[in-house]
Amino acid sequence: MGILLSIIKTSLSDFDRNKLRTFLTSLGILIGVSSVILLVSLGVGLKNYITEQFENLGSNILIAMPGQIFGGDRQMTGGNFSGITFTEKDYLAIAKVSGIKAVAPAYVKTVSVSFEGKTEIGSYYGTTAEIFPMRNLEAGYGQIFSAGDVEKRKKIIVVGPKIAEKLFGNMGSFVGKTVKIEDQGFKVSGILKSKGGGGFGGPDFDSFLYVPYKSSPKINQEKKFSVINFQADSETVIDTVKESVTALLERSYDEEDFSVIEQTQIQETVTSIFAILNGVLVAIAAISLIVGGIGIMNIMYITVTERIREIGIRRAMGATRRNILSQFLFEAVFLSFIGGSFGLIVSLVIVFIGSRYFPLAIDLMSVVVALTVSTTIGVVFGVLPARKAALLSPVEAIRYE
Amino acid sequence: MITLAHVNKIYQIDGEEFYALRDINLEIKQGEFTAILGPSGCGKSTLMHIIGLLDTPTSGTLLINNKDITKLDDNELSRLRNEFAGFIFQQFNLINKLTVLENIMLPTIYSAKKYSYEPKTRALELMDRFGILIKQKSYPNKLSGGQQQRVAIARALLNEPKIILADEPTGNLDSKTGKNILDLIRELNQKEGMTVVLVTHDREIAESCQRHISMLDGKIV
Repeated sequence: MGILLSIIKTSLSDFDRNKLRTFLTSLGILIGVSSVILLVSLGVGLKNYITEQFENLGSNILIAMPGQIFGGDRQMTGGNFSGITFTEKDYLAIAKVSGIKAVAPAYVKTVSVSFEGKTEIGSYYGTTAEIFPMRNLEAGYGQIFSAGDVEKRKKIIVVGPKIAEKLFGNMGSFVGKTVKIEDQGFKVSGILKSKGGGGFGGPDFDSFLYVPYKSSPKINQEKKFSVINFQADSETVIDTVKESVTALLERSYDEEDFSVIEQTQIQETVTSIFAILNGVLVAIAAISLIVGGIGIMNIMYITVTERIREIGIRRAMGATRRNILSQFLFEAVFLSFIGGSFGLIVSLVIVFIGSRYFPLAIDLMSVVVALTVSTTIGVVFGVLPARKAALLSPVEAIRYE
Repeated sequence: MITLAHVNKIYQIDGEEFYALRDINLEIKQGEFTAILGPSGCGKSTLMHIIGLLDTPTSGTLLINNKDITKLDDNELSRLRNEFAGFIFQQFNLINKLTVLENIMLPTIYSAKKYSYEPKTRALELMDRFGILIKQKSYPNKLSGGQQQRVAIARALLNEPKIILADEPTGNLDSKTGKNILDLIRELNQKEGMTVVLVTHDREIAESCQRHISMLDGKIV
């Protein structure tokens, strides 16, 4: 026991004397561990982010839109858009289908919007009041419009936060003022809270200009709709609702000219694209683990090999093979532990700071794998050459070149 | 004390057998000062390494205090290296990243020996005796050859060995320093009755010893 203790003491003072070597060896393990953890956390973070975004867009939502969005195997095709539009009659018919909680048709058009001489391009979104609860949209300033406002054809507008920021800069104080869309004035009723998102396949609800669909005869004379959002009462009735709405629309349109899709279908497609990205990230992580492992292997092998003469001297002074192995095992475990812990700390810090700007999430499995693989390589390649040296006769080890 | 009977050491070089030692029979008695003389490559160092358990014979028997050491395991051999033998090498073989004192204390790390003295006190006494006390915190590569060899001798003596094995201890030193080192080893034999085996290629040194053995081509002649 006393011998083991003095061997550990010897190793520790050895680290102190060879700070550079200790640092470099641990650095190899540190980089191996942290690169794997970070790459995987990036992938997991992205995946979580997308799922969250879609959940934010409301649940049990279906969308009727022109054209065929999904081919037979549920892949998102380029889309052969038929150019049909839906009518107010379609909207009212869908609203009567049983199992439907809310319907929000929308006429979407790119328009120029101006406020006190400043003009921006925005997306006009002529819709009903039901869009707000359905899509979990809330007013940050002022208020959203009501079903009554729609019926009264009030010339009011609810502005998405992104476009609001461009138009107004400092937002709150502009509730009640008037913006102009294609020469028509709309009083600002409210500005929405930011939802974030958009760009990952979902619509960007932060950029729309929400106007009651009945309030702008000039912009949308025929009360057409480019899309009809509707929400099923529950997950169990989604399929029935989907079939009823499809049957209903088939009475007016050719079945190839429109599609009724579930939001989850879009989500699945986007998720499957990111699954590929995630796979690439994991592959890169695996490669960096291999590269890191070879780095650890090299530095361990070199530092131990250059100490074979020292091993010979220690053996000549009475060190047993077991003594030598204990010393190098302790050193390798210690270095791997230090490198691994610092690698873990470094990646946790980067994830903690980086997650403010980018979706990052620690994956426990990657931590376990990275630590296990790096330390195993560190220990194996720290001990193997030492074992080889300890098996030599002391004289052979002393003379080793 | 040490008996070698029919000891052979054979190396395989490119598939051919090379006899480094051939049928060596030798006895070393307690308190003797034996010099092994011969030209380089005659096997004298190999012989010393086998006596000092740094190498193993290919065949034959080696008895230390009537115990057959070819039957010992690594732990028992290591213990003999630690307590029975003290080595002095031509190349000094100090560990450069350890201080002089740490080098001298090296054998204590691996020792299961029950010390009747405080090892550090003995280390300091030996350094004082060899005139290297002020160098105790220095590193070996900052020392002269003579000083390094004194450190090596102090290290060899720390665990109070029964035999000192010196392999060309003056080979890397100038003649004056070499003579000093030799006198020091001789003094150990004469004043303390230490058994010494000294390997040299210098006839003059060998003939000044109490007993000398000549070797040629792996054989005692």
